[in-house]
Amino acid sequence: MSKADQPYIDPSEIPLEGSAAERFKTRSDAFWSGMRDAAGAPAMVLFAGMVGFGAMGRSAGLDGWFTVLSSIFMFALPGQVVLLEMVVTGSSVLAIALAVTLTSTRFVTMTVTLFPQLHDKDRNRHLYASVHLLAMTAWAVSMKEFSSIEAKHRLSYFVGLGLLCWILSVPGTILGYFLAGLVPTPITLGLVFINPLFFLLTFTEVKPWINRIAISLGCLLAPIFTILDRDTSLLTTGLIAGTIAYYIDRKWLRKRAGFIG
Amino acid sequence: MMNTALQGWGLWVALAGACLGTYVCRAIGVMLSGRINQDSEIFRWLTAITYAMVATLTVRLILFPIGLMNNVPTWARILICVLSIGVMVSKPTKRLIPALLTGTLLMMAFGFIL
Repeated sequence: MSKADQPYIDPSEIPLEGSAAERFKTRSDAFWSGMRDAAGAPAMVLFAGMVGFGAMGRSAGLDGWFTVLSSIFMFALPGQVVLLEMVVTGSSVLAIALAVTLTSTRFVTMTVTLFPQLHDKDRNRHLYASVHLLAMTAWAVSMKEFSSIEAKHRLSYFVGLGLLCWILSVPGTILGYFLAGLVPTPITLGLVFINPLFFLLTFTEVKPWINRIAISLGCLLAPIFTILDRDTSLLTTGLIAGTIAYYIDRKWLRKRAGFIG
Repeated sequence: MMNTALQGWGLWVALAGACLGTYVCRAIGVMLSGRINQDSEIFRWLTAITYAMVATLTVRLILFPIGLMNNVPTWARILICVLSIGVMVSKPTKRLIPALLTGTLLMMAFGFIL
């Protein structure tokens, strides 16, 4: 039931390998096609997010290098915003690393669903480098397109797609960082608002009930835990709300037809 | 209630930890790919936690912002969010970009009249 445009969700069906007709002649053909596919709405949204992140970093008074390096080496917006928030409020290094890592566990699921679709020849150590290019955008597009690409060209397509997104995130962050220092405050305000708004809007597209419950509980508990103790609130709310949602799903929802994705 | 921002080496250690933690998750995915069912219980649980954390983060950024966003009254922040969601769900097809633009431009406009 999962849709390809839902990045966090485990797709239940992996399209069959090798079923596709010859869509690309060569690997470089597939690579450039991936790049072209990235250069539309997916890259625009990601770019806007990175601009917003750069602006957030500047207006929070963070070092420019810190802001840009996190885009290069993390390349995961929710994690980056968690890092920024917690650094600014002065959380402990351990709490920050733990919270960021937890938000990144979605990459495990994303990789596990995407990479088995690659050709056996491509499934080697080099994947440990290519996997850095994996983010919401590239994952969602690849999940959709892989079924119509023959297995041996899938990796090239994915790398073209992911590489453009990754490369764009750097100028995006730098642009946001400098814009926030140059433009009038109201413009900066708009830029800083991009990411919270983006996260909020993606929630409306979440389909499985377990994740909808997790989001709702997270929203309800967040103010309470933030007032109690801001530093640990991300971790505590995430763990408590996520676990309750999982429990509700396991105890009740799964027994009813139509509630599982 | 609020501590001061991390400074000096603490800042960079936090960055290194965050980068490492994120990469480790990606690498574990490669290691497990093809050997584990993505519908297993642990994934369902971790996915729920991820959603709850991102929801918490979002609520925190909107209701308890730090810095600049603090100058915008809470009701205005909430109103802009509601209007953007309205645009997002006004059609069953994808309306992410119009909705994102609505919210961002409204926030800018509000900033100018503030």
